[in-house]
Amino acid sequence: MPDLNATTAYRRDASDAVATCILNDLTLFYHHRSGQTHMVISPVPEIMERMDDGAPVTAQAMHDRLARDFDLGPQEEAIAEIAAHLDALVVLGLVRPA
Amino acid sequence: MRHHITLRIGPATFRIGSAWRQPIEQLARLYAAYPDVQGAIADFTVRLQPTSLLRRFVRPSIFITGDHGLADAAPMSLAHGLLAAEMGMNLQMALGWRRHLLLHASSVEKDGRVLVMTGESGSGKSTLSALLGERGWRFMGDEFALLDCDTGAILPFPRLVSLKNRAIDVVTGAVGEARMGPLLTATAKGDIRHMVPRADAVARMDEGGMPALLLFPRFGHAADVRTLGQGEIFMRLTQASTNYVAMGEPAFTGLTRFVRQVPARAIDFASGEEAFAMVDRLWEELA
Repeated sequence: MPDLNATTAYRRDASDAVATCILNDLTLFYHHRSGQTHMVISPVPEIMERMDDGAPVTAQAMHDRLARDFDLGPQEEAIAEIAAHLDALVVLGLVRPA
Repeated sequence: MRHHITLRIGPATFRIGSAWRQPIEQLARLYAAYPDVQGAIADFTVRLQPTSLLRRFVRPSIFITGDHGLADAAPMSLAHGLLAAEMGMNLQMALGWRRHLLLHASSVEKDGRVLVMTGESGSGKSTLSALLGERGWRFMGDEFALLDCDTGAILPFPRLVSLKNRAIDVVTGAVGEARMGPLLTATAKGDIRHMVPRADAVARMDEGGMPALLLFPRFGHAADVRTLGQGEIFMRLTQASTNYVAMGEPAFTGLTRFVRQVPARAIDFASGEEAFAMVDRLWEELA
């Protein structure tokens, strides 16, 4: 369940590192630790990129970071969507709860 | 086993053992021009063995196995022993090869640059590679293209070309009876006949080349040429590879470089002549 209060924090550890390859219509992540290749589209690459510093980030904070560069529409919906993406990335092993 | 032969095809050496003489004799005839590697240490063994002791003699039934096997491989009749040996070699490569990324694709070379054609069984990729090999291209392989993930080169794997059904007469007409194997009727894939590649394809089987064009051929449709997104190309090539996952990061690096650097088109055609014209034009324009 997405955390609608957006208090759950997520981060990427050094051991979660991926090799990235941008093809013209999607982005590939090669996950060193699992050996899996993930094919993703926007906004996943943008979210991952904004976690490169390894610092914990909530869906709310991620929304604010993304909002500097993109028009995300109504805030509540955008945060819920970002939280869902972060949870999905946790399931894939690319992101971990902080 | 009672009968055996050792064959080297491109970088891979196979020792094929058989409980029966016939498949080994057929292999010896068809692979006569390949390097003599008797006594060499093989990368893989293939065994054609009876499904039971009785089945060695009565309605002989072959079970294909070797270093790598499929538990549910269906037994084949001795009449299809040559096909069983070829399938056994493919199976070992598909399941065990780790030195290159294996693409289920045919390939031909011209001026040091390689045309790679990938598609499912029946797409026409084998027939096209066999016929291009008779029209000024060097045949490199009809089943597996080996991608060297360090250099980006495609290496040959020019085993016998496996031709099915309608393709048999077309190719026999082009190359002559002397280079054809026995007609194997009513196999699981219909009629099959093997073709021996030209002598130059065998003599130069250690010589790779850089890929210059990737085609996704589809026989039996109205003529058409389509572009594909790089994401779709990558997805199709991972599906066409038997060892992408096993190869790990070198495969990711090698395949993404291939997808970004090699121009690609999907081509539909209804006849060989149509296909040759498309290949010539696309090679001229893109390669």
